Amino acid sequence: MKTLTPSIMELTDNFSIETNSMDLSISHEIINDELKLKITANYSQIPSRIKLISSNRSNFKIIADIYLNENATLEIIDENDYIIDTSFIFKSFLASRSVLELYRFNKFQSDTNNSFVHTCNMSNGSIFKDFNFTNGSDFTNNETKINLNEENAKYVGSGVVMSNSSKCENNLEIRHLSKSAVSDCSFKAVTRGSSNVSFKGKVFVDENCSNTQSNQISKGLLIDEESKINLTPILEINNDDVVCSHGAASGKADEEVLFYLASRGISKSEAERIYIQGFLSEFIEKIEDAEMQAKGQNFINENC
Amino acid sequence: MLEIKNLNVTVEEKQILKNLNLNIGKGEVHAIMGPNGSGKSTIAHTLAGKPNYNVDSGEVNLNGEDLLSKDPYERSLNGLFLAFQYPIELPGVTNASYLKQIVNAHRKSRKETPIDAGEFLKILKEKSKLLDIPMDMHSRFVNAGFSGGEKKKNEVLQMDLLNPSLIIMDETDSGLDVDALKTTADAINKLRNDERSFIIITHYLRLLEYIEPDYVHVFQNGSVIETGDKTLASRIDQEGYS
Ligand SMILES: Nc1ncnc2c1ncn2[C@@H]1O[C@H](COP(=O)(O)OP(=O)(O)OP(=O)(O)O)[C@@H](O)[C@H]1O
Ligand SMILES: [Mg+2]
Repeated sequence: MKTLTPSIMELTDNFSIETNSMDLSISHEIINDELKLKITANYSQIPSRIKLISSNRSNFKIIADIYLNENATLEIIDENDYIIDTSFIFKSFLASRSVLELYRFNKFQSDTNNSFVHTCNMSNGSIFKDFNFTNGSDFTNNETKINLNEENAKYVGSGVVMSNSSKCENNLEIRHLSKSAVSDCSFKAVTRGSSNVSFKGKVFVDENCSNTQSNQISKGLLIDEESKINLTPILEINNDDVVCSHGAASGKADEEVLFYLASRGISKSEAERIYIQGFLSEFIEKIEDAEMQAKGQNFINENC
Repeated sequence: MLEIKNLNVTVEEKQILKNLNLNIGKGEVHAIMGPNGSGKSTIAHTLAGKPNYNVDSGEVNLNGEDLLSKDPYERSLNGLFLAFQYPIELPGVTNASYLKQIVNAHRKSRKETPIDAGEFLKILKEKSKLLDIPMDMHSRFVNAGFSGGEKKKNEVLQMDLLNPSLIIMDETDSGLDVDALKTTADAINKLRNDERSFIIITHYLRLLEYIEPDYVHVFQNGSVIETGDKTLASRIDQEGYS
């Protein structure tokens, strides 16, 4: 396999993109302080990879249109710790058999506002793997809308929120608009320090969508008394030929488990940490890419 | 080593332990037998400091120190080990990582550095072999989906790793097949020495034939009603409690 040295494109004094690939085209313009990006990925032997790099100089808004041509694979990685307000609006279009992987590992400074809005349109046999790890801030908003427009499109998504004195709203809407499409999403939140986390997961299955598979699970773990977690699954299924599993549950750490750990010499705070790691690790295994899985595990370890 | 004086314990507003007295010397093995619901696990849980086990009155000293004022984790760090009658499952955490963390918690309290990964693996292999535990069990989540016997062996493995001075085994033999019982008893016998004491809670004579106790106590309705040597266990095995 050929390797490519990464190159860095400075787009604004706030924002750069690191990329490994020549099979990508990236154009940008700045209108009214908003950075508008157009990214097109073509098929290549080595999957194209983009890293978003922020210098954290000032608040920003980015609007990105992302096109994946047939059979293209594109990974987008954002592992910035943000100390500013951020706003992302992504619109992506996945052509047949293309694969989009989006990994976000973001720590936000508590007094910031952060919003991420993504609409993804998926064609025949395309795959979108969508993983988000965050600690929340004064206000964090994640909004993802997936249109499974054509047959055999597949969405796999997971969100992990490790909130400490922060607010985080998550809205996920998955629309099965063609037959034989798959959606599989999980959401997990751990809250401390009077946090407020919500997750609304909507799944819509259209009439003509036979052979649909849809899983959705959301779980919350409340570490302190004051925090709130609101999990709302909404299902609208208009076809009988659907395999569906959906669940939502939140609660406190199991006292029996904490006592078991204590009986082995583990202090309360350490026992909670182990418990949280266990709680969140169910999610980690969904990340197939070993490097990204390690980054996710690292994010959990560092923030709990 | 362990002195229990006039211990009264209430769980969920129900008094379970009634004026319990028990003295355990260094290196001694004490067996406790008694009917279901007589309060045997309650002693174990009270000594380990389980929340909601309310000590109404009485005293417990371990190695000359007041045990009951200590947090559960401190009791473990001070040398107490309870092998649970019903070991708890901990999904999402692999057994290997868990075992390493409990070993390191004890090392940290002794101001030692965390154990080296290679050294830990070596010790784990050695001790697992002694108990006939396959190494691939350690890459599974703690006790999750383990069979009854595997859970019990995992308790004994932890007891071996943590080097405690007082071991309480709550029905560790229940759930072990005949061969596993022998292997496990052999491993436990290897842990016997002049410094280490045992409380073995059991319903069966068989375990006590492998691990010979110095004393046998009969427990009924929250306190000890009779104490004898190992022949008492044989008598109970034949005649029952009534
Ligand atoms: N959390 C609880 N709430 C109410 N009652 C309890 C609780 N825990 C224990 N008990 C009661 O305390 C009594 C003693 O229970 P314990 O588990 O100590 O018995 P045991 O001697 O260990 O029995 P076994 O041989 O069946 O294990 C029982 O009647 C039990 O129902
Ligand atoms: Mg019991």
